[in-house]
Amino acid sequence: MNGNSYGPERSGRRRYIPLLYRVAGVNALLLVVAVGVTIVVLDPSRVSMFRVDAEGAALIVALLLVVAINVYLVRRVVGPVQALTALARRVDLAGHGERMPVSAPASEAGELALTFNEMLARLEAERREATGKVLAGQEAERLRIAQELHDQVGQELTAVLLGLARVEARAPSDLRDDVAEVQGAVRTSLEDVRRIAIELRPEALDDLGLQSALAVLCERFGERFGLQIRQQLGQQLPDLSREAELVVYRVAQEALTNVARHSGADVADLTLEPDHAVLTLTVSDDGDGLPDGYQPGTGMRGMRERAALVGANLQIDHDPDAGGCRVRLEVPTENSRVAVRRENGR
Amino acid sequence: MVTVQEHPRPVAVAEALLGSDGLPRLRVLVVDDHPAVRLGVLQLLDDQPDLVVVDAAASAEEARALAEREPIDVAVVDYQLGSRSGLWLTRMLKRLERPPRVVIYSAYCDGPLAAACVVAGADGLVSKGGVGAELCDAVRAVARGHSRLPIVPPTLAGAMRRRLGPDEQAIFGMLLAGIDPSEIASTLGISPAGLDSRRWAMLHKLEALRPDPVGAQRGGERTARRRSPGC
Repeated sequence: MNGNSYGPERSGRRRYIPLLYRVAGVNALLLVVAVGVTIVVLDPSRVSMFRVDAEGAALIVALLLVVAINVYLVRRVVGPVQALTALARRVDLAGHGERMPVSAPASEAGELALTFNEMLARLEAERREATGKVLAGQEAERLRIAQELHDQVGQELTAVLLGLARVEARAPSDLRDDVAEVQGAVRTSLEDVRRIAIELRPEALDDLGLQSALAVLCERFGERFGLQIRQQLGQQLPDLSREAELVVYRVAQEALTNVARHSGADVADLTLEPDHAVLTLTVSDDGDGLPDGYQPGTGMRGMRERAALVGANLQIDHDPDAGGCRVRLEVPTENSRVAVRRENGR
Repeated sequence: MVTVQEHPRPVAVAEALLGSDGLPRLRVLVVDDHPAVRLGVLQLLDDQPDLVVVDAAASAEEARALAEREPIDVAVVDYQLGSRSGLWLTRMLKRLERPPRVVIYSAYCDGPLAAACVVAGADGLVSKGGVGAELCDAVRAVARGHSRLPIVPPTLAGAMRRRLGPDEQAIFGMLLAGIDPSEIASTLGISPAGLDSRRWAMLHKLEALRPDPVGAQRGGERTARRRSPGC
C-alpha cells in the first residue's frame, strides 16, 4: 500500500486545528465566561471593584487546572487515534498481521482500534483469498501450457527430427552439412520447448518431492548458466503442504534466476534447513549484491505474495559471508500449524 | 539396405531378418503412442542395415502382447505412453522368458528419470533431441550388452534414496552401481521374485510409473500417497 496516499502532507488537504487545542481552548473560554456571568448575576456591584490580585490569581489557577485536565483526557483519546493513523499508513496487507495493541476497550479510541483490527483481519483474509485464487489460476494455466507444449509442439518437433535423420541418411554428400544444420536447429528448439515446459511446471516436485526437485533445479541452472551451485538439502524434511512446497520451489527458482541474470556471481549456495517449527530456504551468492536503493521487482514481489499465502516470511538482504545477495524464506511446517490451531482452539 | 518398408508395420519375413552382410539383423519393437513419432522412429530404425523393426505398438499393453508372441532383441519405448509408463512396460518385458533389451526415449531425460530407468531395469535412455543417430547407436550398444544410461548425480541420488525404505536403499545403491540383479538378490538373501516386487515398490515410490510428464490431475491423491506410512 502506498503509505503517502492519505497523509496530511498530501496536496489539497485542509490544515486543521488539532482536537486537543480546540477542546482546551473552548473549555478555558467557557470558564472565563462562566466566572464573569456568575459575578454579574450574583452581585453586579462587584464588577467595578474586581480585584485583580486575589480573584484574578484564583481564576488563572482554575484555568490552568481546566486546561491540564483537558489535555490529560483528550490525550488519552487522541494518542491511540494517532497511533491508529500511523498504523493505517504503514500497514502491509501482504505482510505479517500488524495490529493495534488493545485488549479490552477502555474508551471510544479503544473501541475504534478494536474495530480497526477486525477490519484489517477481514481485509487480509480477503486479500489472501484473492491472491490464492489468482495464483491457483496461474498454476493451472501453466500446467495447461506445459502439457500443450509437450504433447503438441514437442511431439511434432520429434517427428520432424526423425524425418530429418532419414533425409540425412539418403541425402547426397553435398547436402549432408545443410541437413545436419537444420537438425541442430530443430534439436535446439526441442530443448527449448522442454526447458520452458519444465520451468512452467516443476514436474520433479510432483514426482519426487521437494529435495529432489531442488537438486534437479540446481543442476539445470548450473548447466545452463555455468554457475556453481552448492546444495545443502537437509536430511529429514518436515511435512509441508503441497502449496508450501510449491512456494519453496518457486522462490528458489526465482532467486536462482536472479543470481544467474543479475548478480554476476560464480558461486551460489542453496540450503534447506529443517527445524521443528520452521523450514528455512536460503539462496545466497558471491556476486555484486543488491544495488543501492534496491526495489524488489515483479518477480520478487510475486514471491512475497506467494510466501504470505502459506504464512511464510521472505527476506532479501546482503549476505554477510559471501558478499552478495541473500534470499531467505521461512515456512512454518505442518506440525507448527497444527500446534497453533490447537492453541487457538483452547 | 535391403528393403525399404513403406508399410508402417513391416511384416517380419525370414529374409528380412538377415542384413546385407548375411548376419542376422537385430529385431526391434517400437512403442510410442504418438502416430507421427512412432512412424518416424520405425522408419529411422528400419532404414538401418543391421536393424529390422518387427512391429510397432501404440500402447504398453499392445507391446507386451506382441513381445510375448514373437522374439524381440531390443524394445525402443517412449517413456510417456498414455495411461502406462514406458517403465511399467520395461518391468513387464523383463519378466519374459527371453527378456529383450530396452531403450527408453523421453523428452524429459533428466537425473530422476535416469535413476528410475536403473530401477526399472532399462538398458538405455535417449533424449528426444537425440532420436537420430544416437538412438540407433544406443540400440546397437544395448544389444551388445552395454548400458546406455546417463549417470545419476550424487546429490540427486541421495535425495531420491531418502524416499525409500532401508532395504530398498541398499537395492537402489547397488542398482546405481551397476551390480547385476541376480548378484543383488544373493547378496541380500532374497529371491529374484522378491527383488522384482521390491523394484516395483521402489518405482511406485519414485513415482516413475505414471507417464504424464507435467503432473496432470494429481493433486491430493499424490500427496496422500507420498505421505502414506512406510514411505
